Amino acid sequence: MFAQRMSLQEREKVLGLVLVTPAVAIILSLILYPIIYNLYLSFFDVNPMAGNTYVGLENHRNVVTDPTFWKSVFTTIVYVFSTTIGTTLMGLLVALAMNRKFPFRGVVRSLVLFPYVAPVISVVFSWQFFFDPVNGIFMDLAYDKLGLFSSRFNLIGSPSTAVWVAIAFSIWKNFPFSYLMILARLQAIDETLYEAAEIDGASGWHKFRFITFPEVYFVMGAIILLRVIWNFNKFEEVFLLTENVRVLSVYTYYKAFVGTMELGQGASLAVIQFILLIVFILFYVKRVLKW
Amino acid sequence: MVKKTSFLRKALFFLLVLSIVLFSIFPFIQMISISLKYPAEWGDPSLIPKNINLEAYKELLNIGQETKNVPESVLTLLEETPDLSEEQREAILSKYRSTGDVFPFLRYFLNSFLLSFFAALVTVIFAIFGAYSFSRLRFPGRSVVQRGVLFVYMFGGILLLIPLYRMFVSFGWISIPQGAFVSLMIIYIVQTLPVSLYMLGNYFRTIPFSIEEAALIEGASRFGTIWRIIIPLSSAAIGTVFIYCFMIAWNEYLFASVFLKNYTELYTLPMGLKALFTSKNAIWDRIMAASVLTATPVILLFMSIQKNLAGGLTEGGVKE
Repeated sequence: MFAQRMSLQEREKVLGLVLVTPAVAIILSLILYPIIYNLYLSFFDVNPMAGNTYVGLENHRNVVTDPTFWKSVFTTIVYVFSTTIGTTLMGLLVALAMNRKFPFRGVVRSLVLFPYVAPVISVVFSWQFFFDPVNGIFMDLAYDKLGLFSSRFNLIGSPSTAVWVAIAFSIWKNFPFSYLMILARLQAIDETLYEAAEIDGASGWHKFRFITFPEVYFVMGAIILLRVIWNFNKFEEVFLLTENVRVLSVYTYYKAFVGTMELGQGASLAVIQFILLIVFILFYVKRVLKW
Repeated sequence: MVKKTSFLRKALFFLLVLSIVLFSIFPFIQMISISLKYPAEWGDPSLIPKNINLEAYKELLNIGQETKNVPESVLTLLEETPDLSEEQREAILSKYRSTGDVFPFLRYFLNSFLLSFFAALVTVIFAIFGAYSFSRLRFPGRSVVQRGVLFVYMFGGILLLIPLYRMFVSFGWISIPQGAFVSLMIIYIVQTLPVSLYMLGNYFRTIPFSIEEAALIEGASRFGTIWRIIIPLSSAAIGTVFIYCFMIAWNEYLFASVFLKNYTELYTLPMGLKALFTSKNAIWDRIMAASVLTATPVILLFMSIQKNLAGGLTEGGVKE
């Protein structure tokens, strides 16, 4: 009897390992190994057709002494900061609105999710058309109707204005995620808290400040962290909308795959980008989430 | 007095909801509107087309394109000479058939579909076994696997792109079209597997073990219980994970653009649309019609699983 139970446990152990092995093997060989391999490649002059030549820290040195790299770091910081704040606040606003009862709420709740689920490629052209200097509605409003500008121009054409379009696009695309997370938390708040506050004569703002806000604080902290991680690495949402905004991912893509393919420098850029992200996460987790 | 302010509040709230909805779906409305407008109307800010133009959709879906570029005189000639054989007619018409500037939308659609479907299928199969293993069976290293799965949240595609590209080049897969296509499929599997494992693992834990226990006592094997109990009980969750994987692959551009760069006939929809836009054929009605046709399947799929997915999202189960 005892021996049989042992063998049953043993069998379970073996079966567990057998079943999980394919998944783990795939993750180890195609995620973990490439990350280490990327670190290795960053010390080499990489030529896909011929071999790799060891160059030490030359790639890293080339990257950090290039002023366009620092410009792209700055663009990335502006992009990540604005989009994170924007998506979170927009998500909060929409969640507060959707938490109330109103007619057709079900339909409205699913329409609001459309930007998040539609493929990036299928919505960028509509945004480009919106800002198109000749046909777009934006210029029609801003120039013809309101007279804000002295001429029609392409807002997506120059890097300094295109970054703001990219930020607006990202907020539009991603706010539904923040909204869903915050709404889930809002629905879990005990109604009696609000009733008690009303009896005590609390105003709408006070109810938000002293009941709602403390309840959603940690959810917001978590979605801000996720948003920073995701938007820091974001490629498609920027590159497909406009090729003028060189955030770090786009910068790396150009370095590694366009023109003289500098794969070694690309690898070194990816390492630097990863280190920047880790530093931020450690700081944020300690300071804001107070873990 | 009280009534008046509450009416004002209601109106303001209604306005807020309306502007949220408009903000969310305006680009979609505009997309449909432009895809149906004639070029002369593009500059008109009104969203309702005066005349409906279906030419863009017909061209993308290859409907009625056979005689489009054939001159009138040739068509009447063909009609007036009924004694021509089918082959002769075909030969005359094929001279006028344009090949270069037609956008092979259907082929890109098929490429995207095959890639996404098989990647999602393989992911789901691996994920079912993997997730079952670490949610039900005890083995050394179980918790490491469970937590390690989420570690992948930290890595964006760009960090993996260069090493994976270098690896697949050295396998010699990128230099042949089939190899490049399969490499891309493997990459989509890898990218969706961790989150699928996590989502399914969470779901399997909610199925009471006693159901399985009964089957095991009756003499069913572990595989038998997975096949007869776990899979049927979690079919909704498995469907959701499948569609999630499908959507990730359907939307992906970065890896596709690097791996399939040299194989125009293998382009996925995102690559094809981008190429169409950069080429001289960039005509707004075609671009917008292609956008509508690319977004529609994804939005329909999403509507079908909305309830489950929204639950999964709030459990932190979705990676971008």
